[in-house]
Amino acid sequence: MNSVYSGPGFDFANTARNSFLESRGLPLPKATSTGTTIVGCLFKDGIVLGADTRATTGPIVADKNCEKIHFIADNIRCCGAGTAADTEFSTALIASNIEMHALSTGRKPRVVTAMTMLKQMLFRYQGNIGAALVLGGVDADGPHLFTIHPHGSTDKLPYVTMGSGSLAAMAVFESGWKQNMTREEALDLVTAAVSAGIFNDLGSGSNVDACVITASHTEMLRNFVKPNERVQKERSYKFARGTTAWKKEDIRDLIITEDITVIREGEAMDIS
Amino acid sequence: MNSFVSRFASTGHDVELRKAREAFGDEDESLEMWGSQAGFGPLSKGVPSFSVPAVPDPSAFLRLHTDDHADPSCRIKIKHGTTTLAFRFRGGVIVAVDSRATAGSYIASGTVKKVIEINPYLLGTMAGGAADCQYWETYLGIQCRLHELRNRERISVSAASKYLSNLVYSYKGMGLSMGTMICGWDKTGPAVFYVDSDGTRLKGDVFSVGSGSTFAYGVLDQGYHWDLTDEEAQELGRRSIYAAGHRDAYSGNTINLYHVKEDGWKFIGNYDVSEMHYEGPAGVGYGYEIRTAGKSSANPPPEPESQTAQT
Amino acid sequence: MPDGSYAHPQQRQFNPYTENGGTILAIAGADFTVIAGDTRQSEGYSIQTRYAPKVFRLTDRAVLAVNGFAADGNMFVKKVKQRLEWYRHAHAKDMPLRAIARLIQTMLYAQRFFPYYVYNILGGIEEDGSGAVYSFDPVGSYEREACRAAGAAQSLVQPFLDNQIYFKNQQLPPGQTRPLHLSLSDVLSIVIDSFTSATERHIEVGDGLEIYVVLAKGRGPQGLEAVRGAQELTTNAEGDRVFIVRRELKKD
Repeated sequence: MNSVYSGPGFDFANTARNSFLESRGLPLPKATSTGTTIVGCLFKDGIVLGADTRATTGPIVADKNCEKIHFIADNIRCCGAGTAADTEFSTALIASNIEMHALSTGRKPRVVTAMTMLKQMLFRYQGNIGAALVLGGVDADGPHLFTIHPHGSTDKLPYVTMGSGSLAAMAVFESGWKQNMTREEALDLVTAAVSAGIFNDLGSGSNVDACVITASHTEMLRNFVKPNERVQKERSYKFARGTTAWKKEDIRDLIITEDITVIREGEAMDIS
Repeated sequence: MNSFVSRFASTGHDVELRKAREAFGDEDESLEMWGSQAGFGPLSKGVPSFSVPAVPDPSAFLRLHTDDHADPSCRIKIKHGTTTLAFRFRGGVIVAVDSRATAGSYIASGTVKKVIEINPYLLGTMAGGAADCQYWETYLGIQCRLHELRNRERISVSAASKYLSNLVYSYKGMGLSMGTMICGWDKTGPAVFYVDSDGTRLKGDVFSVGSGSTFAYGVLDQGYHWDLTDEEAQELGRRSIYAAGHRDAYSGNTINLYHVKEDGWKFIGNYDVSEMHYEGPAGVGYGYEIRTAGKSSANPPPEPESQTAQT
Repeated sequence: MPDGSYAHPQQRQFNPYTENGGTILAIAGADFTVIAGDTRQSEGYSIQTRYAPKVFRLTDRAVLAVNGFAADGNMFVKKVKQRLEWYRHAHAKDMPLRAIARLIQTMLYAQRFFPYYVYNILGGIEEDGSGAVYSFDPVGSYEREACRAAGAAQSLVQPFLDNQIYFKNQQLPPGQTRPLHLSLSDVLSIVIDSFTSATERHIEVGDGLEIYVVLAKGRGPQGLEAVRGAQELTTNAEGDRVFIVRRELKKD
């Protein structure tokens, strides 16, 4: 308060004011949220992550094709649900710290390291960072799959779902998941799980993004399935020239024309 | 089934019986729902009936679900926001209103008829709950007609407005919301009465009601006097609603103008507020651009023809 | 303090209302009216059903679209239909459209202190053969209009209609004229495009679309022949005629 300088991190200066305004009937502006279905599943050679691509602001679709599978390291990816800005900045911050950690230790990063960093950060902020994450990757210990809740708790499971479509997706996993699936089987199951969210949960929609992580290779399958293509409009809505009303017309010539009169002949430039 | 058919039959012995029963006021309950009591089924016996939620405090229940000022997220949004005015002068009564209905910050409609034509010589205005005004002023129309049939003369504006004010007073505290002006011409000459849902009833010369009333009063009070000509009075009403439509976010769209004279009311016209701003009723806009043109650096005088022709 | 004990006074709220999403719209032409609604019914983020009609044929000349709280809406339509049947028995004819509009006002206002949480749009053919749309608020204020959208995507669709039907914010380009009334085929494509667009951007709109078309007595089906799958619902071929057109909408 008494200093012009404000330290790094969050600024809580307006919280008291905003909660007062809220009690007087002036709610905070809505943050873009990724209503979301995000899933992850273990298979024979690694991990498959999946996500839908709808971002919403209340009941309005803010982005029809957003990316919810975020980069952490070459061998680690993280799906984010919740407040869009929180998932993006938390994963970006941890990706950066993981890179620093890898550089200083000279080892390939481990999934647990990323998981611990994320949960400690989220716990420190007591749920004020609205990020619900599915973290997956393959490291020296093999494949790992975690869920991380906004308050900092974590689970380690062979198949996980998160977001508003988590129940729809989990229903598919519970009926279809088995041990030691092939890459194709796992990819089909993840697609089916995310699709269940897309079609049955209003917060999820549009396309299926997938990511297959194995010990040797990470493959990002952006827009793996597109079951909701925009349909053709019945009419063209092109307006005839002259439709827009105007109050003033002002045409300016942007080309500057100058007449240069050479007063004194200089010596010819040496161009040899 | 037989009793159903016979009830609606127009001939037969039981019709006589029914007429007798009606004469003794022993009517079947369900008949009021029958279909053609001027569309006022629940009111056919003169006493309106309304269903009320089974809670200890029905008006608190209604407020919880409809009061969008206290809670913008409440489910049932009742339309609000308005400017209406009416004034009395030598040539009769001028009634002018805007046409905007708002639900929160959303313009629910820009074509609302806020002057309710109670009958050919009585007008009512609408401010507050749209349904409350529409319904009760239509109902007032029925009662005015009944008064005519019973007394063989038209009801006075004073009596009509008192009927309405007594009626809404009986619902006081239940959540009705209306602020209306009952306007007409009777034996006493032109008359304007202000009636609202608190039970207030005022006789007066000049009234304006609604969120934009302060803006309208500003213009109205400045230009009002008793000896206005008809044209001057109509222009004053129009100009006052324009001022409110221009400055009040909850008023606008179009102006509806009525003039009540000795032989009843006449609809003068519908005027678009933004057209009034730029063009006015006679080619001269109400907006102030016309008054500042050529008089400030922001509105420089038009350039001479020779210079602009170059481009 | 919801600790289950009765040591302290407790407050409960009676909340009989919920919002079931969806959108309805109606447009009146010179001698026809189009009334449409999507068929998704939802609560929160869940779809309750992908096919719950919100638009209902009342008579050969009147169609009612109902949006808001589905339970209230269905009950309300049921009661309106009942009153219209009584009228038919009493007068041996269908109730005129403007009379149905007034009936709906009194029925809604009778619930002034315990409102039906429904937004109604009534469309059809007036006794003079013109197309008409009446829109209502939950407690019965009503108005005749040329077009109206209501429901979840009202704020997305109504501005589009204002622009395309009323030509709001469109200056007439020099040398061009504007039709007094739009043709049926133009209106139908504007209706379909309104719903496909609302489906794109509003999560509560989608699944299916039902479009009712009411044609004035004596008007041919021009504008409707080219439409795929139009189905006639008319009961008396001598009077005004009602058709239904169904379309799929996106299901995500």
